[in-house]
Amino acid sequence: MSLSSSVMSKVESRSRRGRVIRGIITVGLILLSIVMLFPFVFTFTAGLKTSAEIYKPGLNILPATAHWENYQQVWTRLNMLRMFINSFMVTLGGVFFQLLFSSLAAFSLSRLKPVGHTIIMTLLLVTLAIPGIAYIIPLYTTLVRLPVLNISLLNSYWGLWLPYSANAFNILILKNFFDQIPRDIYDAAAVDGASPLRTFFTITLPLSRSILLILGVLSFIALWKDYLLPLLVLRDADLQPVTVRLFTLVRDFPRNLQMAAAFIAMLPPLLAAVSLQRFIKGGLTMGGTKG
Amino acid sequence: MKIALSRRTTLKQRQARRRINWRAQITAFLFLLPALLALTTFTWYPMVKAVGYSFQKVKLAGGSTWVGLDNYRRMLGNPLFYTAWSNVLEFTILSIVLGFVIPIIVALMINELRRMGGIFGLIAYLPTLIPVTIALLVWRQLYAPEGGFINSLLAQVGIPAQLWLQNPLLVKPAMIVIMTWAGIGGTILIYLAALKEIPQELYEAAQLDGFSVWQRIQYIVLPLLASRIAMLLILQIIFVSQVFAEPQLLTQGGPANHTITPVLEIYRTAFDRGDYGLASAWSVSLLLVLAVFSITYVRLSFRKDEASS
Repeated sequence: MSLSSSVMSKVESRSRRGRVIRGIITVGLILLSIVMLFPFVFTFTAGLKTSAEIYKPGLNILPATAHWENYQQVWTRLNMLRMFINSFMVTLGGVFFQLLFSSLAAFSLSRLKPVGHTIIMTLLLVTLAIPGIAYIIPLYTTLVRLPVLNISLLNSYWGLWLPYSANAFNILILKNFFDQIPRDIYDAAAVDGASPLRTFFTITLPLSRSILLILGVLSFIALWKDYLLPLLVLRDADLQPVTVRLFTLVRDFPRNLQMAAAFIAMLPPLLAAVSLQRFIKGGLTMGGTKG
Repeated sequence: MKIALSRRTTLKQRQARRRINWRAQITAFLFLLPALLALTTFTWYPMVKAVGYSFQKVKLAGGSTWVGLDNYRRMLGNPLFYTAWSNVLEFTILSIVLGFVIPIIVALMINELRRMGGIFGLIAYLPTLIPVTIALLVWRQLYAPEGGFINSLLAQVGIPAQLWLQNPLLVKPAMIVIMTWAGIGGTILIYLAALKEIPQELYEAAQLDGFSVWQRIQYIVLPLLASRIAMLLILQIIFVSQVFAEPQLLTQGGPANHTITPVLEIYRTAFDRGDYGLASAWSVSLLLVLAVFSITYVRLSFRKDEASS
């Protein structure tokens, strides 16, 4: 990543006019931040109100008295721990298989050059261009009865892990990255008589830690948020992740408790984002949007 | 240089074609096997099956029958088809009007603050991380007719309470506001990265030639961002055309079908009514519309990728 550059030069931005512009920009961005963050703050304080207070009109964002027990109540009554564990199961398994399968395939395409690898690359690009929603129905019927094996993957995490593991985007990005690893390193390994599998695990993967982390974080976010496929595959409520379970479960709860539950559900992705922001930024500027 | 390079590779390919090392080939395909197996079973096979389904009366237990164009006839004969598509068109136009320019301006603003700007990028990105179902719980409360925050805010300036999600005129903008809130953060970060790649020297040279700040934005920044802007426009169209969770969870397609969308109708036809054939015809129609945009997008993005590496 290059050094930052801005339209105004250093001298200009330090001049009086430049300082005024920067002041206006800062105020504007602070206002925008308030708008963007408001739903989070609102959720948090609404979760502290009584069920009558939440219907009271007016701009009273803060509760008269903070009912912290709301949070404790939804945590236990909704069994939110269960939902979070399910979300982690779905997401971590999905990320694991996605990275493993993608990097194995990318290594083959980049280093081992199988016959027809250009055809496979083209197929992967075509796959990228077709939105998942277009084949969600046959995907569902395939999961209901897997061809050849004739087993159903409904109500099983495999029914999510395996479809998630097929990811053309990751294969293409990793292949591009593997292509840039210097040949000399592989030649040295070849002299030592290392097998492809050993080369893969002892050279390629360690050298690709950064990209694997970025792709892992991006997959984690995407899979944690996924709604439609888990909704279809996990019909058993005890298996459902937060995204699927919470909305239906809170239907019979008063609005203040709904907000408390929503705020708890917001926390894991927020904490992850703040601690992993470096990788998110790296990831978003990669691949399709790299220039 | 580039030509010489590609010639060398084709020569190498030709040599490779002449004598195939079978043992190496087996290894290569063993590495590919898990991904290919997963892609075939869960992506490529369903893609082909989707087209087949659209010409069938599908029975999950087996024994599906071919019905020719019957599903398409039923789809086109249903007034809902046109309602859904015109809704999606309205959603898309609204999202472009309300949310397309904002990220460009915000990214420019953040970029001028140099290092201090980073925190604003992160803040704008936070909503993107929230699963849509959770966000909708919150927005339903913000839009609530009684005691909802937005109506309370409007009451301060004397505007009467609105039924945001029940009024046919307001429901689409209300949903687009949610989608914009949830989506602009990523777009801002992408524009920011693009702005960082513009060399400072360009601005300095322009400044020496007497270009004002606005002129620099007009003649340097916007032309250099043009391809990125085009790509993100396509991406936004693709994304908004698939709007589903908002109408499904907030309005069930109402009021009076004003938020019914193709994806919502696909979901209902298939999973509520079990008419997989008809739903697949809808899917194919969606695919045909989206393919134009997504093929352009993939071509644009991977062409850029090759040029830069």
